[in-house]
Amino acid sequence: MKPNTDVPLPEEPKELRSELMVLNVGPQHPSTHGVLRVVVTMAGEEIIDLEPHIGYLHSGFEKTMENRTYTQNFTFTPRMDYVHSFAHDMAYALAVEKLVGAQVPERAETIRIILNELSRIASHLLFVASGLLDLGAMTPFFYAFREREAILDLFEWVTGQRFHHNYVRVGGLKEDVPEEFVPELKKFLAGFLAKVDDYQGMFDGSPIFNSRARDVGVIPPEVAINLGLTGGSLRASGVNYDVRKAHPYGGYEKYDFDVPLGTRGDTYDRMVIRLEEMRQSHRIISQAVERLEPGPIRDPNPHFSLPPRNMLGRSMEALIFHFKLVTEGFHPPLGEAYVPTESARGELSYYVVSDGGSLPYRVKIRTPEFVNIQSLRYAAKGHQFADFIAILATLDPVLGGIDR
Amino acid sequence: MARIDTAKAYAAERGYAVTEARGTTWIDVPRDELTEFFTAMQEAGFNYLPNVVGIDYSEYPEERPERFAVLFELVSIKGWKDGDGSRFFARVWVPERDPVLPSATPLYAGAGFLEREVYDMFGIRFEGHPDLRKILTPEDLEGHPLRKDYPLGETPTIFHDGRYIDPAQFRAGITGKDPGLTGRKGGARKGYAEYFDDVRRAAAADGEDV
Repeated sequence: MKPNTDVPLPEEPKELRSELMVLNVGPQHPSTHGVLRVVVTMAGEEIIDLEPHIGYLHSGFEKTMENRTYTQNFTFTPRMDYVHSFAHDMAYALAVEKLVGAQVPERAETIRIILNELSRIASHLLFVASGLLDLGAMTPFFYAFREREAILDLFEWVTGQRFHHNYVRVGGLKEDVPEEFVPELKKFLAGFLAKVDDYQGMFDGSPIFNSRARDVGVIPPEVAINLGLTGGSLRASGVNYDVRKAHPYGGYEKYDFDVPLGTRGDTYDRMVIRLEEMRQSHRIISQAVERLEPGPIRDPNPHFSLPPRNMLGRSMEALIFHFKLVTEGFHPPLGEAYVPTESARGELSYYVVSDGGSLPYRVKIRTPEFVNIQSLRYAAKGHQFADFIAILATLDPVLGGIDR
Repeated sequence: MARIDTAKAYAAERGYAVTEARGTTWIDVPRDELTEFFTAMQEAGFNYLPNVVGIDYSEYPEERPERFAVLFELVSIKGWKDGDGSRFFARVWVPERDPVLPSATPLYAGAGFLEREVYDMFGIRFEGHPDLRKILTPEDLEGHPLRKDYPLGETPTIFHDGRYIDPAQFRAGITGKDPGLTGRKGGARKGYAEYFDDVRRAAAADGEDV
């Protein structure tokens, strides 16, 4: 006899049950750009609330820097924001230079600006590449990394390192750029703008990108300012605030460039504005290459600059200064110095307190990502979860900078 | 009149000290008048708070009014409406015994994480902060790491013959400063050679063969 194979149907539920879902994203998640953990409360696909949890990468740089000499601290500065690391070197150097009253020579200033803008381009390339990857576009990643690799090769050539340069010194630079650097840089610059157009062509006209990015994650200008949002994300909201223009530092006042602005403050604007910033950085570098004249690359003040190597065998004083600077470091006068700068992610500033010793008394680092990540909740509320990934990508977090 | 002059006039009217050095301005605001000060400054057009800095002055060579200082940077953002780029630090002295001060978050939402960082690193509480929790350090970490009396916990460098360099002593030799507290774990402070001797002795006392 055939057994009864009918499976009894479950009873119909009396009413549809719905409840809020709490989803934990990260800390190990490919689209959080590092070890960011976000606890998202959702009703279906719609985000009701979210809470970023940070600190997984906290390394206590501020405490460590209090216990190293001013020059040793150049080891730590690029390790925070490892994507636009040169901005950190430069910001720290500017604050300490303000403290000791160093005069940076013209050539060193120009080289710093060239490298800073190159680093900014490399950072924006990563932004565009990984941002589009999060939206599901795989191809731009490979193209953008081709150019990024070229920039990192230039950095390796000049500084010996791809990310953690350790090339800036208080009062100038560690050493001059190699002779072949400028021709190679010009070669890179000649082909770069066409490639930026290529990237833009890869997503700008795409209807998929348009519908994923237009009017998603809108941050109005007043809200953005109140939340402390800076950098490209603030300018996408239409606020014309670029520290390079508003409070020029390190010689930026001599260069002619525009600050691109968005109109709506949505994901689309935040994405496209980075491409325009790359073009402007290209413009600054092109001007800087023209300005590059031979000359000294360090303030010759023996109280904080190492004497030239060839002096050590001939001058007793040079030897003494060299020995004291290397073993002990220099002693800035009592006081506090502060310089706001513009990194690829926004306003970056070092607040350095000196107690007259050879170690800084306190270094406070205001990283833009740390403050910018607060805007995530505002921008993502009410959107779908897939949009949250895109919004997070366009706020451009680098967790090394957030956690320090 | 530039906005920075408005702030200075406000400070002069109420007798707050104004310090200027190296192109930066500090205005010392008493703790209990801070909320009022923020309200007045926001009305005066300082719409952006980029930075909150905590400093522990307990080992500073110059005399300071209190152990802690908290600095709120206020900026009239250039490039939005009539912002003129004025910026200054409002400095609040916070005593060690009662490290509490009013929060800036009701007026400047961006101060949220920055104040949490100061709370985490210095143990200074901000009244009126909507969500004052630790932010960077692990939840089970005791103490506030950026206070000057928080130990560093470094490990010494060991050489073959048992000689070792204690980083704090080494720095003290260079700078002439007090080595301070190091070695959170008592054993590491002696150097590993002696630390392992201790471990062996303890194990031998328990009758174990190490």
